[in-house]
Amino acid sequence: MQGYQKIMISPEEIVPTAQRMRAEGRPLAMIHGYLAKEKKFNVSYEYEVDDNIESYTVETDGSLPSIEDIYDLAAQWPERELHELMGIEFEGLDTSERLFMPDTMLDGQGQILVTPMKELIKMAKGGEEK
Amino acid sequence: MSYTIPIGPYHPALEEPVHARLITDGESITDAKVFIGYNHRGIEKLSTQRNFIQTIVLVERVCGICSHSHAFNYAQAVEACGHMNVPKRGQYIRVIMAELERLHSHYLWLGVACHLIGHDSLFMHIWDDREIVMDILEEISGNRVNYGMVTIGGSRRDIDEQKAADILRMLDKLEVSICRIRDILLADKTVAARTQGIGVLSTEDAIRIGAVGPHARASNMPVDVRIDAPYSCYDEFEFEKAVWDSCDVFARVVVRVLESVESIKIIRQALAKMPKGPINLGVKIPKVEPNEYMTRHEAPRGQLCTKVVTNGTDTNERVSIHVPTFKNAPTLAHMLRNNTVADAGLIVASIDPCFSCMDR
Repeated sequence: MQGYQKIMISPEEIVPTAQRMRAEGRPLAMIHGYLAKEKKFNVSYEYEVDDNIESYTVETDGSLPSIEDIYDLAAQWPERELHELMGIEFEGLDTSERLFMPDTMLDGQGQILVTPMKELIKMAKGGEEK
Repeated sequence: MSYTIPIGPYHPALEEPVHARLITDGESITDAKVFIGYNHRGIEKLSTQRNFIQTIVLVERVCGICSHSHAFNYAQAVEACGHMNVPKRGQYIRVIMAELERLHSHYLWLGVACHLIGHDSLFMHIWDDREIVMDILEEISGNRVNYGMVTIGGSRRDIDEQKAADILRMLDKLEVSICRIRDILLADKTVAARTQGIGVLSTEDAIRIGAVGPHARASNMPVDVRIDAPYSCYDEFEFEKAVWDSCDVFARVVVRVLESVESIKIIRQALAKMPKGPINLGVKIPKVEPNEYMTRHEAPRGQLCTKVVTNGTDTNERVSIHVPTFKNAPTLAHMLRNNTVADAGLIVASIDPCFSCMDR
């Protein structure tokens, strides 16, 4: 059975952890995020360590350092995804172009993962709930 | 003179939407940019509105080719969150379905590749064989695409002796045929001329960008989740990683044909060793304590990562699905550079992309 280990870290530890993992040749499996209680984002960096996943998790108000310089496109695309769908800022990440959503969708407010479904439906119907 | 040539988003190679913008100097591609997101359906968002059983149905719709992989991996993540142990027979059925799915996925891609190469007789031969696999999938599950074989705690349908005998008869036919196809693909001049030295992704670049699955193995990266991080009952079977070192489109063809042979081996072993007993735990809609887990599965196109966060109810707090194409598509721009415009379609197709999977 594949193992899973969650390790809480501070935002300052994100870059050193990524550098250590890259130096050890550990692939970055995923950058995952969700809106936890009290409107805090819970973002985790999932590294493959043999048959285990080490999940380095950080709580943030919405701004984190980018690890694109360390993991190249393997980090850039997931960071762009979290920026686009959840509104998390990654310092140094170029977000001038959208990855998934068209610019026109919901007047550019495509952060569907943090917007309640009711509001999304309302926005899709032009602001009027039917 | 330099031109910008748009390719796609409608069906540039496979019947899936992606847009590539090629910067060319004459026939040669000097730079490329890839644009995705034409099929985003908000499946991750929808999964937070549904219970675990409904989510299985939902995640199967992420992809029409590797639907079982999504259901399989999602169920594994929920079961890990809820500390459930799937009965052995249920695990064996999941693995048999996963390998049948790999076979039809690889056959589909090999056929498309032969068509793009210009070897249409081989394309028809391979797709004829693929129909045999599809017939078996339909006999087991009742469906050709979304099989509905997975439930939380095991499998939904059994594979009885009659079906097992039919699968074995099918494997006998396929094994003879795939060995012949392998020999043709390895020796054919047309295939070699169109694929060797085309769309090269070096091992260093594959590691740097984070390629996975057959695409990575064709760049001489010996990675396969089934062996490196065994799950379900994969550790009970003997099979080999299909790795090739030429790092070009040819290597991607070879890896997939060799891997098909290995899948047949796994299905044979699973049918021979399948234990008797229940196929699932009999749970209907489970409630799972607050927890989180990420599982990995070797889908036909590579490593599929599914992370589930539970909140103590029967609904997901969050489901993240990172599909193999999300890892492999970023390599496209790199592979397209210094190739000709005529090869662009084949290079895009060579990662066996699933843009619907990626957009979710």
